[in-house]
Amino acid sequence: MVIGTLYALMALGLSLIFGVLKLVNFAHGESMMVGGYLYYFLATSFIVHLLGLPLVVALAATVPVLFFFGFILEQTFLRPAYNRQTARYDEYVILVTFTLGIFLQNLALPLFGPYNRQAPAIFKGRIRIGDLIIAGDRLTGAVVAFAVIVVLFIFLYRTYWGKGLRAVSQNPEAAASLGINVPRMRSMAFGIGISLTGIAGALLGQIFLVNPVMGVPFAVKAFVIVVLGGMGSIKGTIVGAFILAVVESFGSILLPDPTRALAYKDAYGLLLLIVTLMFRPQGLFGEKVRRA
Amino acid sequence: MTENIVGKTEGGSDMENKVFAALIGVLALFCFTQTGGAADAIKIGVVAPLSPPGGVETGQAIVDGAKIAAEEINQAGGLLGKKVELVIGDTAGLPEKGTAVMERLITRDKVIAVGGEGHSSVAMAEIEVAHRNGIPIVISEAWSDGITAKGYPEVFRVTVSNSLIYSKAAKWIKEQGFKHVAVIGENSDWGLGVIKVFKDNLDQAGVKVTSFSAERTLTDFTPQLLQLKNASPPVDFLVDGFTGAGELLMIKQAYELGIAPSKNCALLGAGMDTLYPGFWDTVGEAGVYVLSNPAGLPGLPKTATSDKFKEVFKAKYDREPDAVAMEGYDSVMVIAEAVKLSKSTESKVLVDALENKVNWEGTRGTINFSKDKNPAWAYHMWMDVPVFIIQYTELNQDPSKAAILWPAQFATVKSLLKPSK
Repeated sequence: MVIGTLYALMALGLSLIFGVLKLVNFAHGESMMVGGYLYYFLATSFIVHLLGLPLVVALAATVPVLFFFGFILEQTFLRPAYNRQTARYDEYVILVTFTLGIFLQNLALPLFGPYNRQAPAIFKGRIRIGDLIIAGDRLTGAVVAFAVIVVLFIFLYRTYWGKGLRAVSQNPEAAASLGINVPRMRSMAFGIGISLTGIAGALLGQIFLVNPVMGVPFAVKAFVIVVLGGMGSIKGTIVGAFILAVVESFGSILLPDPTRALAYKDAYGLLLLIVTLMFRPQGLFGEKVRRA
Repeated sequence: MTENIVGKTEGGSDMENKVFAALIGVLALFCFTQTGGAADAIKIGVVAPLSPPGGVETGQAIVDGAKIAAEEINQAGGLLGKKVELVIGDTAGLPEKGTAVMERLITRDKVIAVGGEGHSSVAMAEIEVAHRNGIPIVISEAWSDGITAKGYPEVFRVTVSNSLIYSKAAKWIKEQGFKHVAVIGENSDWGLGVIKVFKDNLDQAGVKVTSFSAERTLTDFTPQLLQLKNASPPVDFLVDGFTGAGELLMIKQAYELGIAPSKNCALLGAGMDTLYPGFWDTVGEAGVYVLSNPAGLPGLPKTATSDKFKEVFKAKYDREPDAVAMEGYDSVMVIAEAVKLSKSTESKVLVDALENKVNWEGTRGTINFSKDKNPAWAYHMWMDVPVFIIQYTELNQDPSKAAILWPAQFATVKSLLKPSK
C-alpha cells in the first residue's frame, strides 16, 4: 500500500503530461532526481535550520519551484514544436525530452557530485501495527502522496483550470473553440506533471538515497504503470501503481526458490508490461485510439 | 585543349600535394607531441568507479590514495629520472566501461601498468584487456576469487580475495556461536562470491545459512528482510553483501524494521561503503553497532610507510585514511617499486619484477606476491593482507576508532557488542 501510493504519485506526473501534451516525458526519472535534490538542499539549508521551520515547509517549497521549472521547460523547448515549427511533433518531443534527461543527469554529476545523500526524513521512527512495521519515512511518503493525489483530483474535477486541462486532454480543438487557452494549459500541465514527479522524488529521496541516477529505476516503473493503466488515464495510473506494487512484493516472496526471487524483483514489472502489451495494448483504462 | 587539361591536372595534383603535405605535417606534429609527452613522463593508469552506478566513494578513495603515491614518487625525483603521471579512468562500475577505459589507457595513453579498481565484475573485464596486451595490472580493492584464479601472469592483487577473508570471517562467526546466518548479496562476481564462501564454510560447521541474491541497483530490501524476521531458527547474523547505495539502504531498512543491528541480530556490512564519511550521512544512527571488514586499518600493523601515509593523507584530505585509500596508494607504489628494481618500463620485465623481486613495505605490511597456484586464487595474491572485523560503537565514528573484534592480536574488545534494543 505504502509503496503503491508513492508509485501512483510518481506515475501520475507522466500520465498527466501524456494526457494533455500527448508526449512521453523521457526525462521523467531526471525530473524526480531534480525534486530529490531540491528537497535535500532546501531541507538541509541554513534558512530552514535557522528559523527552525518544519521539514514539511521545505517539501511544500519544492512545489512552486518545480512547477516553474516545468512551466519554463515547456515554454522553451516544447512550445516551438507545438506551434508547428517542426514537421514531426512526435519525434521532436521524444528527442527533446530524451536529451533533456541526459543533460540533467550529466549536469547533476559535476554539480552535486556522484555521492549518495540522505534527504532528512520528515517523520523518523517506526510505527508498529500488530506484526506489521512501517518505517516513518515510508509512512510520511504514503500520507503526503495520498494528500497530493486527493488535491490533484479536486483540482482536476472541481476547478475551472482542472476542467480546462481535462478538456484539452480530450479534444484540444474543441477546447480551443470554447475559449480555453490551449498553449497555456499545456504549459500548466507540464508544470504540474513535473511538480508531481518532483514531489515523488523528494519523498523517495527520504526513503532511498539521493544521487544523480536515483530516478532511473523508478522511471522504468512509472512507464510500466502508465502503460498498464492506459496512457493518459488518471484512474488507470492509480490502479496500475497498486497492481505493480502488489506484484513486486508478492512476486519476490512467493516464488518457489526464495534465494533467487529477489533478483527478479524488477523483472516482474517488465513481465507485467509485456503481458499488458500482448493482451490489452491500450491498458486497463485506456482508449483504443488510432493516430494518423 | 591538351595543355589546358594537363594544366588543370597539374594544378589539381598541386592542390592535392599541398593538402597531402599539410596532412603529413599535422600527423608529424601529432606524433611528435605524442612521443614528446611520453618521453617526459612515465604514465601509470588508475581505474576506479567515479560515477554511479559504481561505488563512487570506493573509487574516490582509490584515487585519493594513488595521487599521494604519485606526488611522493615525484617529490623524490620520479622514476628512472622521469616524472610519474597518473592517468585516471572512470569505469562507473560497469564492465563494458572498464574494458573501454583499459583499451584507452593502454593504446592511447601508453601506460606502463595499471592499478586500482573496486568492483570485481569490472576487474574481470579489465584483466582480459591487460592480459591481451601484456600490461601488468595491480588490483586495489576487488575481492572476487576469479580475478587471480584466472592465472594471468599480468594480474596482481594487493587486497584480499573473498575466500581469504570470508573463510576467516566464517570461522569467527562459528566461534562466536551464531546459529543462523542470512546473506543478501548483489549478483556481481563479488556478491555471489560472498554468498558462496559463507555457504561453503558454514554449512559444514553446522551453522544454517540462508542467502538471497539481487540486482545491484536494487533499493528496496523490505520484502526479504521481513521474510527473515519469521525465519527459524531466528536469524542472528545478517551479511549485507552489497556495494554503493544498496549497501547503505539495506542497513537503513534492516534497522528501521527492527531486525539488525539489534540485540538479537548482528549486521556485517561486507562492502566498503561502511568505511567512508558518507556512511554516517546516509545511515545515521542505524550505523551504530554495524560490523565491517576492512582490509587494513591505519597504523595496524605499524610500519614506517603507514605513519607517513597517515600524516600526508590527513593533511591533504582532513580525515583518517581508510583501507581502500591505502590500497590505492599501495598499488601505485608497488608498480613504482617494480620499475625501480628492474630499471625498466617494459611490460614483461615489470611483470617479472612484480612476481619475483618486489618485497616492499607498504602501508599495511610488507607486500610480495605469491606464486602458489593451489588454491587457484592464491596466484599473485599478497597473502599476508591484514584483515579486521570492526564494530562501530558510536555515531559518526571513524573506522580507525571503532572497536576491533578480530584478529585476536589487535582486538580491543572481547566479543560482539550488542545494542540494548
